[in-house]
Amino acid sequence: MRPAPDKTPEWPNNGPPHARDEPSGRRAFALRRLSVTATILLAFGIVGGQLVHLAAKGDSGLTLAVSEPIASSFARPDIVDRNGRILATDIEMPSLFADPSVILDRDEVAETLAGIFPDLDAAELRHALSDRARRFVWIRRGLAPATAQRVHDLGLPGLAFRGELKRAYPGGRLAGHVLGTVNIDNKGLSGIERHIDDVIGVEAVAGATRSDHAPIRLSLDIGVQYAIEDEMARAIRRYGAESAAGIVIDVTTGEILGSASLPGVDPARPLEAADPARLDRVSGGTFELGSIFKMATIAMALDGGNASPDTILDVTEPIIDGTTTIRDLHPAGRPLTVAEVFTHSSNVGAAMLALDAGSERHRAFLGKLGLLTPLATEAGPVAAPQVPQRWERIEQITVAYGHGIAVAPMQFAAAAAALVNGGEIVQPTYLKRQPGTESAAGSNRARTVTPRTSARINELLRLNVTDSAGTGRRADVPGYKVGGKTGTAEIAVAGGYNKNAVISSFLAAFPSDQPKYVVLVSLFEPKPTAETGGEIAAGVNAAPSAGRLIRRIAPLLGVLPEGTVAAVEE
Amino acid sequence: MRSSTISAIFMALAGAFLLYSLNYDTRLIEARVQSAERAAEVARGDIAVLKAERAHLARPERIEALARAQGLKPPSEKQFVRDGAASDIITGSTRR
Repeated sequence: MRPAPDKTPEWPNNGPPHARDEPSGRRAFALRRLSVTATILLAFGIVGGQLVHLAAKGDSGLTLAVSEPIASSFARPDIVDRNGRILATDIEMPSLFADPSVILDRDEVAETLAGIFPDLDAAELRHALSDRARRFVWIRRGLAPATAQRVHDLGLPGLAFRGELKRAYPGGRLAGHVLGTVNIDNKGLSGIERHIDDVIGVEAVAGATRSDHAPIRLSLDIGVQYAIEDEMARAIRRYGAESAAGIVIDVTTGEILGSASLPGVDPARPLEAADPARLDRVSGGTFELGSIFKMATIAMALDGGNASPDTILDVTEPIIDGTTTIRDLHPAGRPLTVAEVFTHSSNVGAAMLALDAGSERHRAFLGKLGLLTPLATEAGPVAAPQVPQRWERIEQITVAYGHGIAVAPMQFAAAAAALVNGGEIVQPTYLKRQPGTESAAGSNRARTVTPRTSARINELLRLNVTDSAGTGRRADVPGYKVGGKTGTAEIAVAGGYNKNAVISSFLAAFPSDQPKYVVLVSLFEPKPTAETGGEIAAGVNAAPSAGRLIRRIAPLLGVLPEGTVAAVEE
Repeated sequence: MRSSTISAIFMALAGAFLLYSLNYDTRLIEARVQSAERAAEVARGDIAVLKAERAHLARPERIEALARAQGLKPPSEKQFVRDGAASDIITGSTRR
């Protein structure tokens, strides 16, 4: 008998498909879950291990980043003279700061540091350190390395240093007024430093990263600048003056080769500039400059055709206007030619020429010279000229010989440069002009007088030095053909003028046949000395000072002396 | 499907390790660059200090005193001649 067929289907593996795959599917799923979990755990393990590694490594940068101050200093380009010699540069210096949260004993810190910094306010520092919420307190910035080492050697926790850029002036007080100052953050406050901020730009840096800007090349020549400062210092000692100012300008380009006002200022000590005694008398103040203004008055008369150097003026009688009588300091007692009015420095003659021109023309001419409007250089605005409100007869008379109008020496020197260079206005500049470029000839080529008038003025300037009666004869320097004009201005006081307090000035141009440079020297309140024969007039103090200055700077400026060559060639 | 998933996982892991390695290499190079930049900055700072010191030592008031101590004086107008002009001035070893 055939056995009954097995009703069980012929399924492999003893079961239906769903019953057969279930266990193996679970296993595969478990395996996948395990592998994914292991991978994730491995990844987390790697990350965790790395974190442990970083923590163990103890990277202090994290802590520093928290206490990093917001304050930053500014990287500035170097300032160099026209020959590339450094006048100002940035150097890295350590600055001391404290982290109050780390300081253990703030009293100890304050007292110890007060021992190193005598001017440190210990109470104020103690108060600042008492706020433990603060993480950063400046204590002293721009330390000398030796001082920083002393602080470091204290080993006090919570004190640390940070390198910062600080402005350094290797020349000390040299050209201090021109360079100006920067603040504690190395940002320009005045002078050329301010110009750099305003025009060229400075970069805020967190550390001591130096500026990538090219150096700022000034028109100053360190040698000329030093000669001016040295000669002004000698003049102050020699003539007992309260202060002195000197400036040298290239009459063609307007470049200022040197500018000094003594007592000077140290650009590294910004507070000095606030001292009125240290005022920049070249451009920071206006003064009645006296008879050097006759140069402008006579140029106006010559240029307008009202007079020639040989025109005779009757200066024997004083000029009277109301209650004011205008006399010559040393009356010639005879009529003078216009040339003699210049060399004798006749107030009456100058007043007559001004009156002859008329007030409108007089004023317009001074305006054309730039003496009535504010002037500015890269070192900042020049003190605005003080001009008469009305331009009546008396104002015309006094302005003709440099009273009743006050200008900065810088402004007059620029006007004088325009009179001796052939008649073209020049804009004074502290930046070196590139030879051959358009700017080398000056930015403004407006004309003040004709070349013929300019040549005549140069002849008169030279005559005033060579003539035995000339007031500027003590300024002569053999070989350099110095020409010039003296000016002795009494200083205004309440109710009039002080005859014993004067500003003695000498405006020189050399070589006078074709001037290349104008030199203006002003001595403030010189005293009578045995050398000056008891006088305080410019001819005995400012003129010889200018002569000595020219003797020193002419070789530096490449001006070849003339007479010597002829003597050698003989 | 499985093999593609596994290969994708391996590729992802390989990519992750590659990126991790690249990241580390980049950080290393970055650290070296920063180190070189710091060294350059220190060198620039040192140069600035040296230039400032040189300028300080060469300031005219100091040079003048040293020159006068050596018996030197500012040039006078008698010491200048034009090129080609006969003179008795001896310059170096050459008599012109």
